[in-house]
Parts: sequence; structure tokens; C-alpha cells
Amino acid sequence: MRVYFFATCLGEAVFSQTALNCIKLLQREGVEVIFKKDQTCCGQPSYNSGYYEQTREIVLHNVRLFKEDHPIIVPSGSCVGMMAHDYLELFEGHKAYEEVKNFSLRVYELAEFLDKKLEVRYTDLGAPIKVTWHSNCHALRVSKVIESAKKIISQLSNVELVPLQREEECCGFGGTFAVKEPEISNAMVQEKIHDIESRQVEYVLSADAGCLLNISGAMAKVRSKTKSMHFYDFLAQRVGLGV
Amino acid sequence: MTHTTTHSDHDYEQVIGEKLNDAQLRTNLRSAMDTLIHKRKDLLEDRYPEWEQLRTMGQNAKLKVLSQLDSYVQKFEENATKNGFVVHYANTAKDANEIIYNLAKERGVERILKGKSMASEEIGLNQYMKEKGIVAKETDLGELIIQLIDEHPVHIVVPAIHKNRHQVGKIFQEKLGAPLESEPEKLNGIARKHMRGEFEGFKMGISGVNFAIANEGAIWLVENEGNGRMCTTACDIHVAICGIEKMVESFEDASILNNLLCPSAVGVQITCYQNIITGPRQEGELDGPKEAHIILLDHNRSNILADEKYYKALSCIRCGTCLNHCPVYDKIGGHAYLATYPGPIGVVITPQLFGLDNYAHIANLCSLCGRCGEVCPVKIPLPELIRDLRAEKTHEGRGVVRGYKDTKHSKLEELGMKAFAKLASNGTLWRAAMAMSSTFAPLGKVFGHYTPVLKKWLRYREMPKVQGSLHAEVKKLPGVIYE
Repeated sequence: MRVYFFATCLGEAVFSQTALNCIKLLQREGVEVIFKKDQTCCGQPSYNSGYYEQTREIVLHNVRLFKEDHPIIVPSGSCVGMMAHDYLELFEGHKAYEEVKNFSLRVYELAEFLDKKLEVRYTDLGAPIKVTWHSNCHALRVSKVIESAKKIISQLSNVELVPLQREEECCGFGGTFAVKEPEISNAMVQEKIHDIESRQVEYVLSADAGCLLNISGAMAKVRSKTKSMHFYDFLAQRVGLGV
Repeated sequence: MTHTTTHSDHDYEQVIGEKLNDAQLRTNLRSAMDTLIHKRKDLLEDRYPEWEQLRTMGQNAKLKVLSQLDSYVQKFEENATKNGFVVHYANTAKDANEIIYNLAKERGVERILKGKSMASEEIGLNQYMKEKGIVAKETDLGELIIQLIDEHPVHIVVPAIHKNRHQVGKIFQEKLGAPLESEPEKLNGIARKHMRGEFEGFKMGISGVNFAIANEGAIWLVENEGNGRMCTTACDIHVAICGIEKMVESFEDASILNNLLCPSAVGVQITCYQNIITGPRQEGELDGPKEAHIILLDHNRSNILADEKYYKALSCIRCGTCLNHCPVYDKIGGHAYLATYPGPIGVVITPQLFGLDNYAHIANLCSLCGRCGEVCPVKIPLPELIRDLRAEKTHEGRGVVRGYKDTKHSKLEELGMKAFAKLASNGTLWRAAMAMSSTFAPLGKVFGHYTPVLKKWLRYREMPKVQGSLHAEVKKLPGVIYE
């Protein structure tokens, strides 16, 4: 099977090691990965700020870049929400709608693809560990892929998942929200950190680079003892792939 | 605090800063919202296995009426008139206030008692009456508390939820001369004793409306304390203020919506008082007002109705659950929105009622987490509508929200987004930008505090480590098709 891998803008700029681990997780299941060198961003920053016309240019770039009939695998429920759901809304009544729909129907979040399409079965190679989990809002409510990630964690026999008390509450990232309303965003992330620390675990995991950028950046600033890790880095390590 | 004047970004930033730093407010809100969220969740799990179907039924009941609102309003008017109601139309807030004032003046009324009504807040009734020399007195417990300290409701269902029982005790001590108490029962007792005096011999009562039933020409009022019943029956003249969107077709539809309203609002199946009012006192009846009036308030609702997407916001049954679940609302409280309606539904409707030019900043008070849309009992797509509001601000939306033409938006942001879109739709430019950002990333650490966006990020977070070598690494991975 051949798939396109879309690293996302944050995967390219900040989480490049994570992107590499994602590719390895796909290859481990015998999937052939195509990496388009002209890939960019899903367009969420401009879309959520209300720049609809600018965003349509980005959407059409993506639609025309990933044109063959392969699944498009994205390691972010947030970008998947944008590419599989919001793209359609943005092109409602537009002449390119069918073209966009053909693209959107091929978009999968990585955990969703591993769980539902490839039906992975993992053997945990790591030492016993306690972790907690932050659900990205769009992964939870728009692309609805959190169940798959949790199902994969449940296969890791030495990993104890301690749920957050406020798992379903936004961490305050919200893309440009974090810099447009920095004070409110900070109040939100501090509540999230408080919740994470109260769980007394080694790591907080999330499958979303945006939330992690926010949570880990704020945790570093307040010198939190809990560490954060991208879910796909964690998974790659547990199954003996990661660095 | 006023609701109709232009607010500057500075006003907003200042009030948000104040609220965020108010530790007592934050604690009160957090604890109140947690209670409301958990009560709702537990109730739905225990008693409403078919909540999703009920939501769909409620959504359909509202959308059916909104799609032909004119004819339902007309039907309501006909039937209500037959029942003996006097039906008035108010196009603007001023019209509504004048109707009430004239009714009071003609009958020599100097003191009006009010049940809970957000529509009356929207038109600024209390202030209007005060300027004309008439006292409009709140009778709802929450409304009474905040009226005593000259505040507006902080929440659309629970107006004084930002005050805890100790604070309420102090307010009653200071303003009503009551002994200092903090037990809810004793506080209720103080309010009750105070209100009983007010209710004695009053002439004119004002109420809101939860559902206006077109087929019957009747109104349905939901409340918990009995003061609403007093305001509507123990007076000579009852005036109900009803936003035209409160229309439903039948009692059956109203029942469906009531079954969604009570659990969503406060996590109960039903409230203590459900008042269904079919008109003034009829001959031979022992109680009820001699006159019953209904003011059908438009106040720009027709504009909302005219838009293909925003009209859905008129389905709102004012349960407030979107406020309860909003991670922004629970940090800053309702007053920080500087608007009658705060929280997600407030973000959507406030600019439409009062003009986007007056409320441009309000569209920022949302992280688009989507929780409001998830819990809305009538499935209003709140996050989508908030995002569309931002598009109205940047003039890339449908151009339908009042005042959008005069909305100020950041030119810096516009240039930034245009540059971003240009990069993100061209692979070569994008790779060049990524390579540059990784080359200059160490400089970002030094100069970051001087660039506006980074500065705001770095105020509370460390700089992320920019890598930017993904392409080179991917090319090295065996088996990857890099094309």
C-alpha cells in the first residue's frame, strides 16, 4: 500500500523528529510512504483567523499536490479536522468542491489509520511507566480520532494511562488565539499544567504538535517536573523504533 | 457599564486583565461551572439515554419556526389577541422601552417589579426607567443580588454566579441591613422577606418569555423561585418581553425544548415553577392580571434571520450551557465581554444585535475548542459562526453582520496572513522560509522579545527548538519516495 505523508507545518518546523518516527511507524506495517517535497501547511492559521480567501489558495495547493488516489496520512487530529472537515465547509458552493471532496475523503489521522485501516497489534518493549494524556480539541470534536490513539496505548502492556481530570478542556493554544489573547491563553494552560502535575506521572502525551508546543513551552517556563512527549515519539520508542 | 457604545481594544484588555487577576472571581466561577457541568453530565447519563435524538427534535422544532418566522409570529399574534393579550411590536430597544414606559405612565405606575428577563437587559430597561423616574426592581434572587451592587448579570441563567454565599451575605448585610449570614437557606429567607414587602400591592410586573406558542397564543415561563409567578399574576398589568425568536409552533414542541432546557441549564429534569400563561384574568377568575401585554421584540433579529447561516443562532433557548462549558468564559466571567450576552452564544449574537464595529474584539474571546457546539442542546454550530464572524471582520466573509464595514482589524495581521498564504501555496518558497527560520532560530531567542507575535508567545512560554532539517532527514530514510 502507498500513502502520502503530510508532516504538517509544525512537524516540519519544530517536530521533525516526530515526523520521521511517524514515517517509520507506517513503514513498520509494510506501507510505502510518499513524501511530497512541495508540502506546506493545512491552512488552519489563516482559516481560524477569518482569512477565507487566502486559505482557499492553500487548500487548492494541497488538493493539487496530493492528487493520486492514495490515503493522506497526517500526524495531527487538528490538521485532519481542517483537511477532512473544514475544507469542505470552506468550499461549499464553490466550483472546486468535488475536487476538494475527493481530497478530503482520503485524509486520515495517523493513529486512526494505524488502528482502523492497518489494525496494528503492538508489543510493548519499554519499562513500566505512568503517563497521562491531553486530548486535542479538534481531534476530539472535529476529526474524532482520540479513541484510536487510546486504543493503541491500551496495547502497550507496561504503560499505565492516568486520565486528566479536565481532559476535555482546551489547553489554550488555539493557534493564533495564544498570541491574540496571551493572558487568557496563559490562564488556560496553567490550569492544564496544574491538572497534569496533580496526576503524578512521568509524561504527558498528546498527538498534537500545537498543544504540545503550548503545554511544554509553558511547563518549561514554570519549571514543571513532569515531562511532555509527542505520542508518536513515545509509541516509536515503546515498539523499538525511535531514537 | 454600557452596552451600546463603542469599546476600544484597550477597554477589553484592561477588563480582561482585571478579571483574570481576581482570585476570588476565578475560584467562584471555577467551582460554579464545575458543579453545573457535572450535574448536567450525571443527569444525562442517568436519565437521558436518547439525548441525541432529543437534541435533533429540538433543533428541528426551532428551525421549522425560523424558516417561516413571519407566519408563526402572525399566528401567535392572532391567537394571543383572541386570548385577551395585547400584542405590541418593537423594532428597536427604544421602541420596547417606550411601550413599557407609556403603559406605566398612563396607569400612574411608579414602581415596576421584574422577573428574570435577558431581553430586558438587552434593551437596557432598568436604566431607561430610572432616567424617566420609574423604579424597576428585580425579584429574581440572582438579579436582586447584582442590582443591589449595581452590576449586570454575569451569566444569562445564573446572574450572580460570580459571587459566593459569603459575599452574598455581606451584600445583604450592607444593602438590606440584614444580619450577616452565609447559609443558603438563611440568605433565601432574607431575600424572601425583603421581596414579600415589595410584592405587596404592586401594580405592574414585567417578565421574559421562554416559549411563545403560536398555535395557542400562550407563553411559557420557566423559573425556580416563584417570583416569576408573582410578577405575572399578582399585579394589575403584566408585560412580557419576547424576542421574536422565542416562537414555537405547539405545546409539544415547547415540551421538547423544555426537556432540553432544564438539564442543559442547571442539570435538573424540570424546574420548580413552569408558568403557562394564556392571557389576563377572565370573568369569574380569582386571580391574574387585569391586563396582559406582550412585546414582540425584533431589535435586529430580522437581520440575523436573513442570513443563510447566522439564522441558526436564533434557535438559542438561553440555557447557558455553552457559557458553562467555555474555557474562556470560566476564566474571565461574563462582565469581561462588556456585553449583555457573554460566552459563546454572546460572541455570536452580540455583534449582530449591537454591531460588529462596536464589538470587534469579542470575536477573539474564543479558542475555537468546539466544546460549546458539542453541548448546545439545539445544535447551533457556534464555533463555525464565531469563525465566520472573524471572516466578517477581515471582509472575507459573506458581508452580512451589522457594522462589519466599519470594523477595524489589524493591518499587520492581514499582511501577515497574506504572506503566510503565499508561502503555504508554493513549495519552493515554503522550503526557503523553513530553511531561513531554522538558520535564524537562535537569533529568535535573542530578538524574540522585540517582535510582536513572539513577544506575546514568550511572555508565558519558552521558545521552541526549531529544527527545520526534515527534508534532508526524510531523503536519508530508506524506502521513502521523496518527489
